[in-house]
Amino acid sequence: MPIIVFIRDSQYGMPIAQSVHLVGLTMLLATVLVVNLRLAGVALKDSSLDWLVQQLRPWMIGGLVVAVLSGALIFIGTPAKYLASNPFRVKMATLALAMLFQYFTLRRFAAPDSPPRSRAVSLVVAALSLTLWFTVGWAGRAIAFIP
Amino acid sequence: MQCYISAGPMSLAEWFQWLEQTPFSTAIAESIWLFPILEGSHILALPLSVGMIVIFDLHLLGLALTGSRAATVMKEMLRWSKFGFAVMFITGGLLLMCHAGRAYGNTFFRFKMIFLLVLGINAAVYQVVFFPKMPQWSAGRVPAGAKFCAVLSLIVWIGVIVCGRTMAYQF
Repeated sequence: MPIIVFIRDSQYGMPIAQSVHLVGLTMLLATVLVVNLRLAGVALKDSSLDWLVQQLRPWMIGGLVVAVLSGALIFIGTPAKYLASNPFRVKMATLALAMLFQYFTLRRFAAPDSPPRSRAVSLVVAALSLTLWFTVGWAGRAIAFIP
Repeated sequence: MQCYISAGPMSLAEWFQWLEQTPFSTAIAESIWLFPILEGSHILALPLSVGMIVIFDLHLLGLALTGSRAATVMKEMLRWSKFGFAVMFITGGLLLMCHAGRAYGNTFFRFKMIFLLVLGINAAVYQVVFFPKMPQWSAGRVPAGAKFCAVLSLIVWIGVIVCGRTMAYQF
């Protein structure tokens, strides 16, 4: 596909693809932050969690799609480089974990009829969720520095 | 402070050159772990800084958190973005010190700085013109001028991200 060759070989291909990846990441992690800060009970306390999730879901999924698609295009250009990279493996594993954990915790806690939850549980879930998501980011950045 | 050219004050270009070669700058640039940590922090502070502004911009445009009052959304989002921008300016300043001489003449660095200036002016205009009237806006009723500020902010922030990422490929 020409776009893969463009990203891999042209002078501005990789910077553009990486920039799109960062815009997607910003969108995804900003909504993830807001939702988890609300879950932890420290932001937007006037709004309910289920309303917030419903409002931000399109931007969360949109950001994820942009980040994953741009990431896939970067990956396909030089797959051997990424498959041999330890941080890349950590990134893929934590990405899968973060998505699953976020999906199930939000399904549990952000349903309109979800039972009341203790503050301790909310805090732990939000902290774990944010830790997983930001590990994905740090592992991604580490690809450039660690073999 | 050591000066390379003793006659007269340093030009901005000379000052940037000098900055890159201070022992402090070279120590960061050559550190195998500090430089990657600064770079990673700079990128991963994006959601907490720019991301919060983006959510507020989308709210002004009626595309997120519809039904909330703009004044409430702004207060909540800015409260968190302050921490993000603190990380951004500290890590960005240190990263710039390491590359100051090369950054000075770099087109993408210059555009990034111009874009940040535009965003600063945009935010100041919003603060003066629209912020005082926000408590009187009913939910979902945002004047066209405030929406213009939001569109400008979204576009120019994307420009900052693109320029910031691209300049790193040129050092």
